[in-house]
Amino acid sequence: MSLDTATPSQPAGASQVRQPSPSAVTKADLARAAATRRRKAAQWKLVVGTICTLLVIIPIILANVLPLPDANFQDLAARRLPPLTDGHLFGTDQLGRDLLSRVLHGGQVSLTIGLLAVLVSGAIGVILGSAAGYFGGWVDTIISRLLEAQMSLPLLMMLLLVVALFGPTIPVITFVIAIAQWPEVARLTRSMVLVEREKPYVSAARILGLHRIQILIQHIIPNVIKQATLVVLLLLAQAVLLESALSFLGAGPQRPFATWGRIISDGQAYITTSWWMVTLPGLVIVLMVVGVNLLGDGLRDRPRRKKKGA
Amino acid sequence: MTNYILKRLGQGLLTVFLTVSTVFILIRLAPGDPAVSYAGPLATTEQLAKVREQFGLDKSLLEQYWIFLQQLFTGNLGQSYSFQAPAMQVVFERLPYTLTLATSAILLTAVVAIPLGVWMARRPDTGREFGVNVLTIAGQSMPDFWTGIMLLTVFAVLIPIFPASGFATWGGLVLPTVTIAILQIALISRMVRREMTANFAAPYLTVARSRGVRSSLLTWRYAMGNSAIPVFTALGTRFAAMLNGVVVVEVVFAWPGVGSLIVRALETRDYPLIQATVLITALLAVAVQLLIDLAYPLLDPRVRLGKAATA
Repeated sequence: MSLDTATPSQPAGASQVRQPSPSAVTKADLARAAATRRRKAAQWKLVVGTICTLLVIIPIILANVLPLPDANFQDLAARRLPPLTDGHLFGTDQLGRDLLSRVLHGGQVSLTIGLLAVLVSGAIGVILGSAAGYFGGWVDTIISRLLEAQMSLPLLMMLLLVVALFGPTIPVITFVIAIAQWPEVARLTRSMVLVEREKPYVSAARILGLHRIQILIQHIIPNVIKQATLVVLLLLAQAVLLESALSFLGAGPQRPFATWGRIISDGQAYITTSWWMVTLPGLVIVLMVVGVNLLGDGLRDRPRRKKKGA
Repeated sequence: MTNYILKRLGQGLLTVFLTVSTVFILIRLAPGDPAVSYAGPLATTEQLAKVREQFGLDKSLLEQYWIFLQQLFTGNLGQSYSFQAPAMQVVFERLPYTLTLATSAILLTAVVAIPLGVWMARRPDTGREFGVNVLTIAGQSMPDFWTGIMLLTVFAVLIPIFPASGFATWGGLVLPTVTIAILQIALISRMVRREMTANFAAPYLTVARSRGVRSSLLTWRYAMGNSAIPVFTALGTRFAAMLNGVVVVEVVFAWPGVGSLIVRALETRDYPLIQATVLITALLAVAVQLLIDLAYPLLDPRVRLGKAATA
């Protein structure tokens, strides 16, 4: 790791401005300090996380523009071609469909579901969590009980059940994942609002005669929303994993949509002869989820900057 | 104390009751007819009607619910359609497999994740720690069905050291356990690190260190003592969740547990079997949650359970 090697060429702090510094702390010391290492680790995570995420997301977004065969075009003469043959970068599957094209188009479905799901769960979580934290009383009791009840429920079982009930369409799966994820956002928002509620600016706003809802929306939520969005980013990674698990179990969006989970479950039968059909789609999922997780981690660990000009 | 336990038991049973009732209504609202999947697609209308009558599905929803409530209190949830045996019995036959898998997975997790987390917390922000940190991120980013298939291919097909599926020998336990544990180790070790770093930074530890307390004692007695409750809670909650069936892993490894049972029951619309599975797993989950809470005073003498209940 390059992290604990001191790099004297980089300015580490303000010591370079006044050259003959009387301090015993040298640049090398600063570079070796825990805070510096922590900052660098966070930077590394941000950079690598961004690269991994973009590496997957950009081709997915461009999947319709890229010169790829159609995801559902079957060429029975070209079944189970290994990667890098005949212009199939990822090879082909058991029906001669281009695997890369299927993975990218599947990614469009998975990403859409993931993004929509975290938006919905984020919204539900922030609204209910802040209401519970701010109003307290029976509102808090009901919401907290709901949170607890959902924790003791067999989650994946319930998700499978609901999908079986309403049919495996994209809105249903999005909704189901959102329902699975809102408690995490709500719990965090609630605990942060509980802290914010006691701060002087809230009393000040109340004395000025602001309505309670106005205080909550205009003053408290802006103070907690940043951290809440961080959690939502990490939830995106989980949402993608959850969606792929559901479609692996056959409860994902149905054909003709290619989804990551089903590409892998289809390829399972051919694993001994055609390793790429399972390995490569899985690696794409891992790459993206690692990227998103690194990004979330890096953003969280990033040292808090003081507000400029304030 | 007794009051606390009774209150928690009451709450837990209420949760279980609401859960099974919700499931009861949900599965009956769902499209798909158990009679069709039982009698086959070629069955005539009369045959279907006969099957429905036999299963009691021709009665109104309220009547069925009333029967269900009576069954609930006698502990007999009726015959499973596809297994031709009492549904509870079918679930109880599967339960030991899920219990075995969940127990071995949680043990492996605890044995690896706690030392790993402590190791990371003792040298935060060093190069080596950073490397492990990135590895744990990778661990929590792998879809478990994919990890399972990959392990299966490498260690059961290419290098056949472990059986590929089922639970015929103890060796069959290894791959599913590892598959589950990879994710859990990643999550728990990060959590242990977070807790321990916070405790290492606390003033009481600085004081203890300045008094010359041994480093190992500092770590395992002082800091771990204060991290024990959150870590134990996390492990317990994970264990409770696994009892609900490690659905995906059980399907991948053809593990004869509750998880693969529920998938099959949902596919065949086996109402009594779905209800029995949900009832038993929900009961187990609630019981484990209660046990976790009851263990708090053992881990931390400052905890008084009666007070925690009102707070």
